[in-house]
Amino acid sequence: MLDPELLELAPAAPRRSGVRRLVRQWTFMVPAAVIAVLLVVSLFPSVFAGIFGNGDPRVCDLYRSAGNPTAGHPFGFDTQGCDVYANVVYGARSSIVVGLTATAISVSIALILGVIAGFFGGGFDQVVSRLTDIFLGFPFILGAVVVLNSVGSRNALSVSVVLGIFGWPTMARLVRGSVRSVAGLDYVLAATTMGLSRLRIITRYVLPNAISPVLIFATISIGVVIVAESTLTYLGVGLAPPAISWGLQIAAGSRHFQTSPHMLLYPSIFLAITVLCVIVFGEGLRAAFDPRRHQ
Amino acid sequence: MKRTPRSVYLAVFLAAALGLAGCGSSGNDAAAPEGSVTVAVQELDHLTPGNHYTSYEVVLTLFSPLTGLTEEGDLDLIQAESVESDDAVNWTIKLREGWKFHNGEPVTAESYVKAWNYLAYGPNAWVNAGQLRNVVGYDEVHPLEGDPTATELSGLKVVDDTTFTVELKGPDRQFPFQLSDGQTGLYPMPEAAWEDLEAFDKMPIGNGPFMMTEPWVQDEEIVLSAFGDYQGPAPTLSEITFRTYIDTDTAYTDALAGEVDIATVAATKAEQAKTDFGERMFAFDAPGVDLLGFNPDDERFADVRVRQAFSMALDREAINQAIYAGSQIPSTSLTAPSMPGSPEGVCGEYCEFDPDGAKALLAEAGGLEGPVEILFPGGWGYEDFFEACANQLRQNLELDVTAVPATDWAEFTERLEQGDFGLNRGRWGALYPSQQDTLHALYTASGDGTLSTGGYSNPEVDSLLDAADAAPSLEESFEGYRAVQERILEDFPAIPTFANRYLFVASDKVKDLHAAAGSVRYAYVELAG
Repeated sequence: MLDPELLELAPAAPRRSGVRRLVRQWTFMVPAAVIAVLLVVSLFPSVFAGIFGNGDPRVCDLYRSAGNPTAGHPFGFDTQGCDVYANVVYGARSSIVVGLTATAISVSIALILGVIAGFFGGGFDQVVSRLTDIFLGFPFILGAVVVLNSVGSRNALSVSVVLGIFGWPTMARLVRGSVRSVAGLDYVLAATTMGLSRLRIITRYVLPNAISPVLIFATISIGVVIVAESTLTYLGVGLAPPAISWGLQIAAGSRHFQTSPHMLLYPSIFLAITVLCVIVFGEGLRAAFDPRRHQ
Repeated sequence: MKRTPRSVYLAVFLAAALGLAGCGSSGNDAAAPEGSVTVAVQELDHLTPGNHYTSYEVVLTLFSPLTGLTEEGDLDLIQAESVESDDAVNWTIKLREGWKFHNGEPVTAESYVKAWNYLAYGPNAWVNAGQLRNVVGYDEVHPLEGDPTATELSGLKVVDDTTFTVELKGPDRQFPFQLSDGQTGLYPMPEAAWEDLEAFDKMPIGNGPFMMTEPWVQDEEIVLSAFGDYQGPAPTLSEITFRTYIDTDTAYTDALAGEVDIATVAATKAEQAKTDFGERMFAFDAPGVDLLGFNPDDERFADVRVRQAFSMALDREAINQAIYAGSQIPSTSLTAPSMPGSPEGVCGEYCEFDPDGAKALLAEAGGLEGPVEILFPGGWGYEDFFEACANQLRQNLELDVTAVPATDWAEFTERLEQGDFGLNRGRWGALYPSQQDTLHALYTASGDGTLSTGGYSNPEVDSLLDAADAAPSLEESFEGYRAVQERILEDFPAIPTFANRYLFVASDKVKDLHAAAGSVRYAYVELAG
């Protein structure tokens, strides 16, 4: 992502210069702006959906089923005669809520287990590492399909929990590695000899210095989770109607792809752009803050 | 609810198209026809008519039934020369003379009585045994519990080579309809079958227009050739190949590519099929009905006016156009219009779209509070239809109605049984073309389809049904069923939504398809050129 010449010239920079470098790059700022817009959209969907005057995704007229774009309905109508634009706008919320919730759950699990393994080591490390191996051994989507199939209610929360539970292992390894490297440093030793409690050492000295790799990875994984949610929903085990989600819209649109491609196209484009932006954003962060890239 | 209605009713309407004189015994004077088609079918289980669930297309082509329906929906006689009764209890069936099985054996009264006795005998466990349950003696050979006390149906008697009598448990004017194609258990079997039933199951010897030349091998194509000695209307083809598909989408794609000549297509794909196949998409009236049931334990639906208001709030025509590309039939009665004597329009204003009237009626009944869920089985392509229904009810009645898919059939049935739903998907597909079957199955306590209608039953309906079944003539029985429907609709236990049409697509090799009761008659496919 970074300009190679710039990299060579740059000295081993402190963190702050990473931020400055990022701000100057359009490959970071464009996705960041798109994500910011999406966040606002998912917080206030009605405002954005109403731009063209027909903002209610649940106002449906069967006589306009699969209709082409008209004034006030820039994306046309779906099979049910509902406004595609309003539905796509409202669909952003499901994707983002699931993406953030599931990732938050993964990160929490990863932090707890990673710190236990990395800081205490020994038997703890063995147990956590083997547990991580076992979870990495599960195919992610297959595991989610199996669990969701046996879960009674399927809403944003249950889908997030399932995706979160299957998403933590890689992050836990990252946390473990960086905690280990920090835990052996002199200032941690000093804190220990001063008699500070372990909890305080971890929260005050270890975590702040070990957390950035996992946060950057988590950003990328938000994109992965959004894709996974849509995949599961498309397969019929993710979100269920009456939820409004891109996955559901893609599933409904794909049934009529050849006769009315617009019903599939618009939610797909929004999904693709969102995921692309999240991943590029995460990559930008990673490149800027990866110490190895600056040496 | 899970029965597959695939009855093909041999009718005579082709006679005109083919320039043949009348039906039945005209024989096979014309030169043998040339031509073949390949038909996509779902997986086959068995080929014995009395012991199969899913092999309708093949079995119906290998065998001919006693009766069928004409194009106009009247009773037609195929293998039977007459089916008569004075009291609707004791029936005399006379067979046409000169008909033969594929191995040359004559079709006799014994061919029927022996097959029916074997079918009915409980320990044989043939799956279509229930088709004989109204014959006297059935309870002795097929008791619900314990061992049978007889080996043969006491209600069956062979009179002579081509005549036998059937005594029913009670008067039933619809009996001749029960002898038609869909009730495959009532087909005849030749003497040769009894020597080796397993071999018969792989290579049945029938009395129909087509015969097998090689035993069926599971998961391989079945090739049938025309039976030269067939005494019914001559087939238009010399060969039919049935190819099994697990997935209807694959069959559809193969039909597009011309790999397969005839395939079924789901009603929800009608728009696509119309675009892809144009004139070569065919829709045939079928003996099935769709409905929306209500949760009987939900007090909010206890008032009949609420249920009627829900029905009036559905714009069936709009749903038909948007979801089914106009291929289905909006219901105006409780039975499919293709059923003989079906009283179309008996539902009246309650099956007509009237959003203002619906709202007024709901208000009159005291309105309705809280969310309402329409439960349906997910993953079967029903999503669009039930979402449309939910949207209509939500917008036209200003209620919080949503369509909720169950994960699969098991969960759907479980939630129905537990009462965990508001409205539910209901359906009945009849095996024979009589209102009797649909009305008994859906609206009586002992019916097989009452899960669809919230377990509805009413003693008045029962006695009206008994009277209609026992009517002295067919016309009077139709009057009787009209009275039954009127009485049921007073209670309005469920919303009749659509009567089915089954859809087929054909390759450009095919000029025209003929069908009865929703299923293609494969022996009489018209080829192009």
